[in-house]
Amino acid sequence: MNRINRKQGILIPLVIMLLMLFAAQAQAIIDGVTGTTFHFTAKEGHISTPDGNSILMWGYANGNNVMQYPGPTLIVDQNDVITITLTNELPLGNAVSILFPGQDVAASGGSQGLLTRESNSPADTVTYTFTASHPGTYVYHSGTQPDLQIEMGLVGAIVVRPAGYTDLNRTAYGSSSTAYDYEYLFLLTDMDPIIHELVEFGQQDEVDNAKRAPVIWMINGRAAPDTLAPAYTPLLPHQPYNCLPRMNPGGKLLMRIVSAGRDLHPFHHHGNNSTVIAKDGRLLSTNGVDPDLATSEFTIQAIPEETVDAIFEWTGEKLGWDMYGTGVGYEHDCVDGNGDDFDDVTHEYCPDHGKPLPVVLPEKQDLGFGGWWGGSPYMGSAEALPPGEGGLNINGGYFFMWHSHTEKELTNFDIFPGGMMTMMVVEPPHIIIP
Amino acid sequence: MKNNYIPLGLKSFLGALGFVAIAGTCQAADVYLVAKQFNTTMPDGLSVSMWGFAEDADADLSTDGGEMASAPGPMITVAPGDSVLNIHVRNDLAEPMSLVIPGQTAGMSPVMFTDSTGRSRVRSFTHETAPGGIETYSWNAMRPGSYVYQSGTHPAVQVQMGLYGAVTKDFAAGMAYDGVSYDNDAVLLHSEIDPALHEAVVGGTYGTVDYPSTINYEPRYFLINGAPYPDAMPLYDHKPVPGETVLLRFMSAGLQTHIPTLVGPNMDVVAEDGNLYPYAREQYSVLLTAGKTIDAVMASPLQGIYSIYDRSLDLTNAMDSDGGMQTRVTINACNGDIDGDGMVDLQDFGILRSQWGQICTVDNPCSADINGDGSVDLQDFGILRVDFGRLDCLTP
Repeated sequence: MNRINRKQGILIPLVIMLLMLFAAQAQAIIDGVTGTTFHFTAKEGHISTPDGNSILMWGYANGNNVMQYPGPTLIVDQNDVITITLTNELPLGNAVSILFPGQDVAASGGSQGLLTRESNSPADTVTYTFTASHPGTYVYHSGTQPDLQIEMGLVGAIVVRPAGYTDLNRTAYGSSSTAYDYEYLFLLTDMDPIIHELVEFGQQDEVDNAKRAPVIWMINGRAAPDTLAPAYTPLLPHQPYNCLPRMNPGGKLLMRIVSAGRDLHPFHHHGNNSTVIAKDGRLLSTNGVDPDLATSEFTIQAIPEETVDAIFEWTGEKLGWDMYGTGVGYEHDCVDGNGDDFDDVTHEYCPDHGKPLPVVLPEKQDLGFGGWWGGSPYMGSAEALPPGEGGLNINGGYFFMWHSHTEKELTNFDIFPGGMMTMMVVEPPHIIIP
Repeated sequence: MKNNYIPLGLKSFLGALGFVAIAGTCQAADVYLVAKQFNTTMPDGLSVSMWGFAEDADADLSTDGGEMASAPGPMITVAPGDSVLNIHVRNDLAEPMSLVIPGQTAGMSPVMFTDSTGRSRVRSFTHETAPGGIETYSWNAMRPGSYVYQSGTHPAVQVQMGLYGAVTKDFAAGMAYDGVSYDNDAVLLHSEIDPALHEAVVGGTYGTVDYPSTINYEPRYFLINGAPYPDAMPLYDHKPVPGETVLLRFMSAGLQTHIPTLVGPNMDVVAEDGNLYPYAREQYSVLLTAGKTIDAVMASPLQGIYSIYDRSLDLTNAMDSDGGMQTRVTINACNGDIDGDGMVDLQDFGILRSQWGQICTVDNPCSADINGDGSVDLQDFGILRVDFGRLDCLTP
């Protein structure tokens, strides 16, 4: 079927359409380290939290770099043999190790601990080897005194690319039914700073595991609003990873959720349901190829140790009004060449083309503004705002809060807003991501 | 048939924890239990008052054989062909109790009471056994699966105090559910202890300002099969043999969420609350919420030590690390490895020699009674001799 809803004029300039041709050449989105051989050093360092605190952490450093939280995200290819060596620069008396749930690990060196082999000193190296036999999202963390060391920050994520993966052919598990355009990591953790203070003050023995009460909640090692700051910002030298998911209408965004803390978190993504295609790096599937056992959810139950892969889509379908605007100055076409009801370029939902916004916006003096309100309800548009308002939505995108729905986890040590929260931005089609 | 498999080298704590009774097994559809108080000792030496169940040895509840209670109580195994389970109970506690099995249907007669504001409220989900009384609880259509039996009276207190145990029924011999076969099973019943609650209940201050309710619940000990690590042990059908399929029966009688996690191979999670999933889920951990049961299959593990630990990180005994909810599925390839160190050597021979000629009972188990015939003799020596010199008992 070939359906064209033609109104007047062309809104999307030719230049922008040309730019869009290059959008497919984007680089990998999740920040991390690639290869097959890695060296970690467990060491101390301080992270910053938005309440102004500086908290002692133990983390895995990449090689001899500074401690980072979370540890390096390993991005590896399916069937590669992965080797990770670990040396221990934690305070004397603390052994350290790494567990790789879902991997068949051979460990050597160091000494045998309760759950795996451990490094006991800077001179004591443990080697972990496994074959990344299954694609997917995985977690790693300390297997030594995990009640303390996971709290202290010895956690990280692994992404295993399926065989045949390329940046131009992105799939989570190899089959086209797991294809995506953008991917983001959501490594969720929770923290009780009192435990960190006791460790810093040499009172490690006084840590009472049963009385732990987290007051800081994080995504990728940062609490909001730091989740939105750039990756690798020099302001946060020990917290290299941010979490600012962005997409264009009609795209597929792969959420790689890694629950690395101690508590359950209901991770709620506004905007649309997502399709949960895999857990623990295993496709939800009867045939091993297609996620035919996938579920549609609007809140991901993030269970400590579990990983969840979910594909999120947003199109504006059935908003009931034209998201690119109506009336003078908003003239545009909806050209549905392939019969999927959407414009082939702007991904506008053609059945709603030309339908006006069904409410009359209040006068500006009657509105409260947030930084993300650009003055216009229309995708890609902006209008004048009073002095000092707006400014965080330069492209005229739609912002959706993605957050833990345990609402107290939207605070930084009792101060709202913050915590396990970020914004997902649907950017207009001409904005190239990333 | 579930045997009294007693892990090697654990004699010292068995008596204190009432393990003997845990391992006691009731094959018949008629089970005779006594609810009574007892004490258990935590690894740091703290003694905790518990309520538990003992199996009445002579199946005559009108006489008291002095059996020791335990928490969990005796594991009840209902034969695949038995549709009816009758549990006969004598209540030696000072307050009424009852029995329910979530997930199994029974005729229920709730017991009400009138509270201080005149409201009629439920005290028991079904008919009570008064202190000193004897009653029978019946389930006439037992479904296959893994379940927890527990008190149905003031459960916030009575279940926490220890009135719980495992009950299983298989779909067919060697088949937990239709299509889920196994060679060996391991019960892993999770629970917690908040010593302050136990003190308050026994001291009569529960419900006062000292301990108003379980809203102040703060467990400090985290148990599998009634003991925290290092004493926590899986309860097997029989001593594991390399290569056999092991069904892990995760159960919870606690009030908190735990996440048993297997280090090493993934599990096939096949059932929840006694309900078979349409498709097994391959996972390394399971979400074990309060009251939940989860069944998972370990497919043919080779010899080795497979750790299971709680990813909710309740891995402490009060202030001490390296404790709590963790245990090991140890699959030893050598029958003669008496001390379980992975080698059959002179140390094992020394243990055999020191126990030579002993008569072994549930109260006096002998680690060197390798063939389990009740005595340490020439036959056990013969088994040890076959394996002597092996170094690979735990090496896959």
